[in-house]
This record gives sequence, structure tokens and C-alpha cells, in this order.
Amino acid sequence: MNIWIKILYAVISVSVATIYGLTLAGIVRKIYARVHGRYGPPVWQPFLDIIKNHGKRVSISHGIMYFLGPVFRLAGGLGTYLFIPVIFGSVVFSNFSVAGDLLLVMYFIFFGQLGMALGAGEGGHPYSPIGIARGLSQMTAFEVPFSLAVIAIAIQYNTLDITTIVAAQQGSILNWTLFTNPLAVIAAMISLLGMNMHSPFSIVLAPQEIPIGPPIEMNSSFLATLQTNRGLFTAAKLVLFMNLFFGGATNLPIMIVKTFLIYMFSVFVGASFPRFRPEQSMRFFLKWPTLIGIASIILVAYF
Amino acid sequence: MVNPIYILILFLAAGFLLTLIDKGGRKLSLTVFYGILSFNVFVIGEWFYQLTFLDASTLIINTAGFSAPLSINLQLGIQESFVLLFANLTALLSGIYLFKKFKETHISGLILYLIMIMGVNSLVMTRDLFNMFVFLEIVSISTFALITLTETRKSLSAGFKYMIAGGIASTFFLLGVTFVYYFTGNLNLEFIHLSNFTNLGLISVFLLAIAVFIELKPFPANGWALDVYEAVDSGIVSVIAVVNSAAIFFVFYKIMPLLPQNFLNIFGIAGVVTFFFSNLMGLKQKNAKRLLGYSSIGQIGLLVASLIFTMHSPNSLIYLIVGGFFVNHLIAKAGLFWIAGIVKKENLKDWNVLKNNKPLLVLFGVLLFALSGFPPFAGFWAKWEFIKILVHGKMFFVIGAVLLGSLFEVIFLFRWFTLSIKSDEKAENKEFSLEFSKIFPTTIFAGITILISVIIMKFFYGFNWLHALPILAVLVLHVLDFLPSKIKGFLSLAAVLAYGYFLYPFESNIQLFFGVIFILGSAINIISTLNREGKSEGFYGLLLMMIFSFGNLIIATTYLEFFLSWEFMTISSFLLILRGKKAQKASLMYLIFSTAGAYLLMVGFSFAPDLISNSALILSITNVHLPIISIIMLAIGFMIKSGSLGVHIWLPEAHAEAESDVSPFISAILLKAGVFGLLMIAISYIKNTPSLDIFYWIGWIGVLTAIVGAFLASFQEDAKRLLAYSSMSQVGYIIASIAILSHLGWLSAMYLSFNHMMFKSALFIAIAGIYYRTHTRTMYEMGGLIKKMPLSFISVLILIIAVSGVPPLSGFGSKWLVYSAFITKGWYLQAGVLFFASAVSFLYLYRLIHTIFLGQLKYEHQEVKEAPLWFIIPQYIFIIGIMAFSMFPNLIIQPLNSIAMRYFDSSIIIDGYTISSSLGYWNGNMIMMVTMGVFIVPLIFLILFNGKMQKVKQFNIVYAAERPESPQTTHVAHNMYAHYRKALGGWGKPRIWNFWHESSEWSHSLAGFFRQLYTGNGQTYILHIIIYIVVIYFILGV
Repeated sequence: MNIWIKILYAVISVSVATIYGLTLAGIVRKIYARVHGRYGPPVWQPFLDIIKNHGKRVSISHGIMYFLGPVFRLAGGLGTYLFIPVIFGSVVFSNFSVAGDLLLVMYFIFFGQLGMALGAGEGGHPYSPIGIARGLSQMTAFEVPFSLAVIAIAIQYNTLDITTIVAAQQGSILNWTLFTNPLAVIAAMISLLGMNMHSPFSIVLAPQEIPIGPPIEMNSSFLATLQTNRGLFTAAKLVLFMNLFFGGATNLPIMIVKTFLIYMFSVFVGASFPRFRPEQSMRFFLKWPTLIGIASIILVAYF
Repeated sequence: MVNPIYILILFLAAGFLLTLIDKGGRKLSLTVFYGILSFNVFVIGEWFYQLTFLDASTLIINTAGFSAPLSINLQLGIQESFVLLFANLTALLSGIYLFKKFKETHISGLILYLIMIMGVNSLVMTRDLFNMFVFLEIVSISTFALITLTETRKSLSAGFKYMIAGGIASTFFLLGVTFVYYFTGNLNLEFIHLSNFTNLGLISVFLLAIAVFIELKPFPANGWALDVYEAVDSGIVSVIAVVNSAAIFFVFYKIMPLLPQNFLNIFGIAGVVTFFFSNLMGLKQKNAKRLLGYSSIGQIGLLVASLIFTMHSPNSLIYLIVGGFFVNHLIAKAGLFWIAGIVKKENLKDWNVLKNNKPLLVLFGVLLFALSGFPPFAGFWAKWEFIKILVHGKMFFVIGAVLLGSLFEVIFLFRWFTLSIKSDEKAENKEFSLEFSKIFPTTIFAGITILISVIIMKFFYGFNWLHALPILAVLVLHVLDFLPSKIKGFLSLAAVLAYGYFLYPFESNIQLFFGVIFILGSAINIISTLNREGKSEGFYGLLLMMIFSFGNLIIATTYLEFFLSWEFMTISSFLLILRGKKAQKASLMYLIFSTAGAYLLMVGFSFAPDLISNSALILSITNVHLPIISIIMLAIGFMIKSGSLGVHIWLPEAHAEAESDVSPFISAILLKAGVFGLLMIAISYIKNTPSLDIFYWIGWIGVLTAIVGAFLASFQEDAKRLLAYSSMSQVGYIIASIAILSHLGWLSAMYLSFNHMMFKSALFIAIAGIYYRTHTRTMYEMGGLIKKMPLSFISVLILIIAVSGVPPLSGFGSKWLVYSAFITKGWYLQAGVLFFASAVSFLYLYRLIHTIFLGQLKYEHQEVKEAPLWFIIPQYIFIIGIMAFSMFPNLIIQPLNSIAMRYFDSSIIIDGYTISSSLGYWNGNMIMMVTMGVFIVPLIFLILFNGKMQKVKQFNIVYAAERPESPQTTHVAHNMYAHYRKALGGWGKPRIWNFWHESSEWSHSLAGFFRQLYTGNGQTYILHIIIYIVVIYFILGV
């Protein structure tokens, strides 16, 4: 295929995902507001925030790494998204998934996190590294049940190729990993709570303790870049989960419905539970979800 | 040739005449004295030469004109001449050592000395039992008199105890002689045979044997000897410990044919027990001479054991083993006693006066290494062959005791050595006098030790210069030590490259691969040492020694060659680590673990069947069916070197405390030697799989090493310790991947090894550069250095991305390979643990870069400059390598694929830049392109659309409506992952460290407990001897 057409498709794919992700963020803000007993901002508020931040007259920079932090972050979001085939059978939304399999996606998630952590570090604000230390620690913990779940489905489908995994789930709703390997899905969904960092796992941004943590010194376009990424990255994660566990999607509306529902799981839990202390969060992931993940592997591998 | 009977006559005559001669002045009498001693050495030396090289026949001298048994006969064969040569040489040199004393003392001192040496000569030569008794008495009495020449309270009491113990032994000997005569009617060894004795008659042989054995100071009936060693003047002690012991040992050898096999076995075991316990108790000893006493007694025990247990082996081996131990002990011990007399410090901690005296320190080191059985000295070869014989005889208890005892010996001897070099203790008197008469004998002995090593290597084993290259490198660089460091550095670099070029056409690709890691990797690392200023005396010699031993490992063709290079590597790396400022404990711990590992290797190789081809070991091992026990031993040995969980505690200390340009070698290259060894046994294993699936467990150990190492790294405050634990973790991955025993597994293992070599070298060099500028390794004392050291920052940034496995750099390739390998193998839970470990690695990597380069710049680092160029160059060479292999992974995957295909069918398909396994695929080149694309787009966007940018410093922040006070209070670095520690709870306790600490405490307590036996009371000692005799009597069931 012509490389330019591929790039054009990628631009379309990314734009759709970003717009969807930001809208989703707006909806979620609305939902949280209602739970808190407020009307909340309009659904398009995330777009307004980005435009406003880009429009700032002055931007303050702490140095080159600080400058590159948001770039790394957005590149991480873009890359993660672009290595995932979004819609099964669609050429436009197949992205660059030929570059690598599920392992690539899992590791590319770290790309943005690491870069952002470095950028925030140069900001010099003590809350940044505190938030990062918490975030990295929590990441190591929720990565355990998630990777166990991934291993379980790798055993189940005998592949790490996302497209093949989606293909294997086609035909009937009962072919979804959700039903063929429920334990793995439970483990993975619990770790998704950690990845999305809603309560009770909101220890990184933790507004009352370390006011928004890592991005605390970020402003103007830097902040806008991060906010853009937040939309895109959320969409990427949700699409990944949809592909691995919920049968994927054959067209855009189904993708939107499925990812929305998957996200709502985090939102409902987030709206209902209070925040853990950092060590509680880590212990939580290393206990029950991990055991469930191990059980799912044993179930798939030996029974 | 001179008839040796003249020796005795001359001595006797001199003994009587010296009093007269002394009237003519001490000079005259001393001339006569030394003349006789030298004459003696000359005569025996000539006989030894004739007997050994000209095949002269054994000389039998009949005295008084009658032949035996009517007269006493003396015999001088190869063995006698060998023992006497060294005994007399020691006597002469000790005499020279005592020159000053002999100049002042009463003439009786000289006479006694001569009489004693005469006794020793006769003891060795005589074949008559009663005659032996007489000379035993002569030696005893003259020794006693010599002991009391040192007129201190201690030595008088020691002499008295010696006299009593000797008296008891003599009594039993005499009784034995009487009984022998009663049962056989003869006293000449030529005419008495074991068959002459009835069951009852065996009592007579028992009495003889036990009497001599008591004189050989068996544990625990040897308290008297220890007191003598401690109390008496060094020159005299060396004669007692070495010359007398040698003679008595030879007497034991002479009566051995009279003893039935079961007697011998018991004596052999008693010897081993002595060796074990003496060395155990030595652990607790702080007095230098008493320490040598323990070692001395132990060595004699080992000598007896080796004599008995190798009895049925070929002669050449017996000469190598018993002769090797004998000479080794004799020379090293005498030399060390002399040095103890020169330094004159009782407490080991005060020996740091040696620091200021390099020649003496070198002598001390040579003798210590010889005594501990390190190559190339005689004890090493003797031990190797001895263990082989024990293994074939299935004497596992003996092996255990000998090796554990040797380990204890290494511990206390090298504690002493490291203290001498590194102790901070302030000695009261820094100066000690260096007299020629004292240095001369020591130097001669050190020279002889080296000479014997050369003889053994060249003539017994037929080694060539390449095998000895590590040692030659040290010697050559020692000669060039006057040159400035930089010149030596360039020379070394050239030498390493030339060495690589010389080895280059390797027999196989796998050797080439390790050649690149060991030699090319080292060569690049040498560049960072060019930053050294001054002369760096001794540094480059050791460095070259280490690098050449790495290279020799890959071309070794026999087990022994491999083991030799392995030991050279251990010695050189130990001495390199010891150069670190505070490296006393670290280097000692490294040496202890390495030695234990080496002993396991020695036993493991002894179990291995013979090789049938002349190829390099790594190739010929394919056709060798290693027994399961051998695999276990070798695996543990190699895993100690690579710092696996459980035996890793040496690793962080050694890495952290070594000089900062040495650490890259230790971490990036030395650890790979363990990997190389493990791969070697795995190669044998896959072709001849035994029933027990050992590698399954090795796999688990590797995986657990990876996770524990990662956690430990995350909790460090010291940058080098952090990197050290990180190495431990990474090598855990490598070991686990080898243990998979599949094509993908080995591909991953080699890929990881290569990658780890590059990024860990560069990271350690980066830290070296930072340490050079900031003089600290504690990370929380740094911060904000990004603007001061941008090149180092970029380097560390790229490197940590490569370590972490984040795409697009080469680290991702290793992660992809590893997980694919584990999942296809069916090691699912192990793969899960590795995922966890890999996530945890982000903790320490971020901590490393953040606390050093990001956050707040400290006031004291305002003026810090970029790291010197010599540190930057090698880092960027490695980075270029990493970038190239990231962009074009085929460069490395393809050759590694072909290596792994030698052993397994290929399980990957390489199509363009896409590498696919049965599970998934990965296109490194495309990932790099996409990543660059997604990175550049937002970057350009941000550059173009960002508002008017105002640059501020890191400190320009506000929080809680307050401006922070100082960078120190604002840099989040100390105990960064406190919450994780809390989350881990009881899992975070240092259990393994505690285990080894407790083991050490226990063995020291045990040593302390047994040491209570030695009350210093003569009566107790007699009781020990009597009880000992009774117990042995009952055990033998005579």
C-alpha cells in the first residue's frame, strides 16, 4: 500500500479516536458531577480546555526535558493507538498493527509514561516525583494481573497477534473471551481500574494530597498536549480491552458502544469507592486480582 | 659426589668444635656455621639432581662396615633427597634470617641449630626404628632448647609444653619399638613387613604410628604446638613448623607400609579432621603468628590425608599431589612466618603498615596466594588432582571437609590480606626495619614458588604461553609500571585488540559471540580507564590479566584449562575490586563466594567424563554426558559467579565498592563468564538429557533473581548499588532464558547478554563520570544535573530506555523474545513473574535518572562540569551500537539465530525486518519509523504553536502558596519508594543477607567454642594427647 495513503488513514483513525476519547471524558465529567450533586460542565468542555490552553500568551518552560515530556506523552498515546488494529476488517482503522503484536502495545504504553515522568521531573516541583513514584509503583502492581490475563489469552488463542485474537472471537457473543475465559477477563478488568486511575486508584493525580501530581508545573500548550493525549490514550486502552476480551468491533458504532460500556465500569467503581492509600492500592493488586490471574492461567493451561 | 654420611659427621664435628672456633670471634664461627649449612644444601642438591635427572640409583649407606640389620643403614633416594633438599634449604635460609640473633646469642644457639638440622637429616635417611627414636629425641631436645632461647615467659612455658608432648610421643614410640622387636625380632624397615605381625602384634605398629602422628599435631591434641608457634621467634618457628614437620611427616611415610589399610584410613580421616578444624578455628584468630600456626597444623593434616588417600594412584600423580602440597606448604609457610617476623605486628589489623612497603606486600601476596591453593602455584594443581582422585574414590565426606576447610583457610588468610591493604586502623609504629638478612630468604622462597609453578605448568601439563598469558601480562605491566597511566592504558588497549585479533578465527560462532562480549566489550571499556591520572600502579596488569582470562575461557580445550582461566579471572577481579577505597569487606566477600563457587566447579569437573576431542570445551562438551551431580555442582558454581538469588550478596558490594571504572567490567563482562559456563553445561545437557529436570529449577531461580534484583535495586540510595542489583536482575533473565532450553530461549539469552553488556557498561561509565565530578554515589545528594551534564543525561536517557524494554530501542527486542520463549515453552507463571520484574525495573530506572539529573540542583553542584571526554566516548560507542541494533535488529538476530540453530531447530522466521515466532511478530525497523513519526509530529506542533516561551529554572516553583526554601528540602529522592516498602511488609526483609550473616556468625561461634579446648594449660594438653591416643585406639579396634 502506498505509504501516504497509510498515513492518511492513520490521521483519520487518530482523529476519530481523539475526538471520541475527549467526548467520552466530557461525558464522564458530567456523570461524576451528577454523582457529586452538581450539574457539571458541558460535554465539550475538554475541547474548550485544550483550545484555551493552546491560546495562552505565555508559556513557562523548565528546560528541554520538560519541553519534551508532553511530546513523549502524546507520542506514547499516538504510538499505542497506532499499533492496535481498531476495527476488525477495516483498512482505515487497521493502523500500523503489522509492526508488532500485543507485546509491542503493552510496552509502548510505557513510552509515554516514562517520557512524561522525565519531563515532569525537570519541572522541579516536589509533587511531580511523588506522583510519579506512586504511579510507577501502582503500575508495577496492576501490570501483574494484566500480564497474567494476557498470558492466559495467549495460551488460549495460541497467539499474541491482536487481529487473530479478535478473529477468534467472531461468530457468537459466546466466543468472546469474556465467556470463554472469564477469570482472565476479571483479572484484566480489575487492572483496568488501576490503568484508568479512577478512584479507588486515583493516587497519582490525588487532588487533595499532591494537587494533580506529575503535571503540576505543566501549563499552556504543554498542558493542552497532555489533555489531548488523555482523550486518545483512554480510547486506545479501551479499544485494546475491547479487542482482547469483548470480541472486538466490526464497525465504528459497535466500537463506540463497547468501549463506552467498558469505560463505565471504571466510572461506576470510581464514583462509588473512596481513594486507597498508595500501599493499599499496591497490596490490593498483588493479592486477589493476581490470584485470579494465576487461576485463569492454570485453568486454560491445564484443564 | 659427596657421601651424605659426611653431612652427619660434619654437623657433629662442628657441633663439638664451634665452642672452640668461637674463641676466634663470632665472625669465624658464623662463617663455619653458614658454610656447613650451605655445604649441606649443595650436597643434597647434587644428589637430588643426580637421582632425578640422571637416573642415579638409590644410595644405601651401611654404617660401621656391616650391612643391615646388623648395622644402621641410611637411604637416600629421590624422595629422601627431595624432602631433605627443601628442609635443608629452609634451614639455611632460616639461618640467614636469624643472622642478627645468631650474632648476639650464646654460641650454644648455633650448636643447637646445627644439631637439630643434623637430627632432621638423619631422621629422613635412617631405616632403623631405634635409630629413628634416637634422632627424634635429638630433634626434640634441641628444638626445646632453641625455643627457650627466646627468653620470654610465653616461650618458656611453650617450650615446656613442647617438651612434655614430645616426651609422651617418644615414650609411645619407644614402646612401639620394643614391641616391634618382640614380635619380629628386627628393627630395620627393610626387614619388617606388615605380614610379620599377628593381630596382637599390630599393637606395636599402632604405638609407633600414633607416636609419630601425635608429633604431626592432630586436632584436638595439638594445643602445645599452637603455643609454640605463637610464642617463639619467627626464624625458629619457621624451622619448627616446616623443617621438623617435614622430617616427621617423612618418618610417618616410612612406617606407612607397616600399617594395615584400615589404620591408614583412620589416620587419613584424622588428617582431614585436623585440616577442617584447624582452619575453622583459624577464623576466630586475630594473632598473626597463631593464625599461621592454625594454618600450618591444618596443612600437615591435609598432607597426611593426601598421602594416604592417593596411595594407589600413579606415581607421577602422587608426586604432583603430595609433593605439591608439601612444597607449597613448606615454602609458603616459612615465608609467611618470616614476614610475620619482619612486620612484628601481632594483631592482624595492625598489618596495614605493609601498605607502605610494596615489595614486601608483593611477597606477602605471592605467598598467601600460594598457600591458599590459587593458580599458578603448586597447591592449586595438587588440589585439583587430589579432588579428582577423591571423587573417583567416592570419598565425599573427605571432599566436603577438605574443600570447606580450604574455604575457611581462604577466608582467614585473605581477611588478613585485605586488612593489610585496606585497614584504617592506625598502627602505633608505622615503620619497621627491613634487614637484608630477613628479606633475602623470603624473596628466594617466593622466587622458588614461582619457579615451581612454571615447572609444573610447562613440564607436567605442557601448557604454553597462551595459558600463562594472564600472568605474563601482570609481569610485563609490572615492569612498565613506571610509565604514566595513559600510555599504559593505550598499550593495554592495543594488547587487548591484538589478543582479539590473534584469537579471531574462532572455531565456532558461539565462541565468536562471547569473544565479542569479552574482548571487544572490554576493549571499549578500557577507554574509560584512560581518564586515570598519575601512574595507577598495578592496575593495568590486573585488568589485562582479567581480560585475557575471559578470552582463554572461550578457547579452553580441557576442564583444567577452563578452570585455570576461571581462577585467574577470580584472582584478577578480586585484586581489582580490592583497589576500591573502601573495598576491604566487599572484595573479601567476593573472594569467598568465588572460591566456594570454584570448589564446586572443581568437584563438578572431577565428576565429568573425559573429553574425546581437541576442540574448544564449549564445542566438545556436546558429546559429553555429564552426570547429574556434576551438572548441579557446575550450575551452582556458575550461578554464584553470575549472582543468582541466594548467592548474590557479594554482588552489590563488589560492584559498588570497586573503583568506578572497574565496575563496568565486573558487571557487564565478568557476570557473563557465569552465563558462558551455564550455557556450556546446558549444551551438554540438551544432547544427553538426564532424568532429573534440573534446568526447570534453574529457570525458577533465574526468574526469582530477576524480580528480587529489581526490587532491591529500587530501594537503593547508592547509584552503583542500584545498577549492581539491576545487573543481578538482568542476569536473572538471562539464566532463566538459558534454562528454557529452546531455540527462542537461547536466542533471548544471547540477545540479552549482548544488550546487557552494552547498556550496563555504558551506564556504569556514565555513573563513573558523574562520580568523578560530584564525588558522591549517593543519589539524593545529587539532582538537577541535566543542565550541567547534558551529554551524560542523554546517554543515561537512551540507556534506561534500552534497559527497560520500551520500544523502539533494542531492549524491546529482548522482552519480545523472552516472553515469546517463555510462553511457547509453557512456562506461564515464570513469564508472569518476568512481566512483574520488568515493570518493577521502571522504578529503579526512573529513580536513577530522576534523582541524579532531574529535580533540584544542589548548591554545591552549581559549578559542576560535563564528565570528562574519556567517559563520554565509550558511552557513545555503546549507544551507537544500541541505536544500530534497534534500527536494524537483523544485524544481531540473524547471527544469533544461526548460533542457536546449532542446537535447536529454528523457531523464528526472519522476513525483511519482521521477525515472527509461532506466537507473534515484531518489526524493529517499522517500530522505529512509526515512533519517530509520532514523536516528531507533536514536537513540531508544539514548537510552532506554543505561546511565547519563558524559560525559568527548576527552583522557580511555588507550592502550598510558599516558595521552597532550599533545593535540599525540595528534591524528592531519598527513600523514594517508601510506600512500596510499606506495601511489601514482611516480604521486604533481607532474609538471604541475614542467612549468610548468621552462617558467618555461627561458624565464628563454633570456632570460638572449639578454641576453648586450648586452655594454655600444659596438663590439659597432656590429657588431650592421652585421650586422643585412647580414642584412636578404640576406633581402630586393635
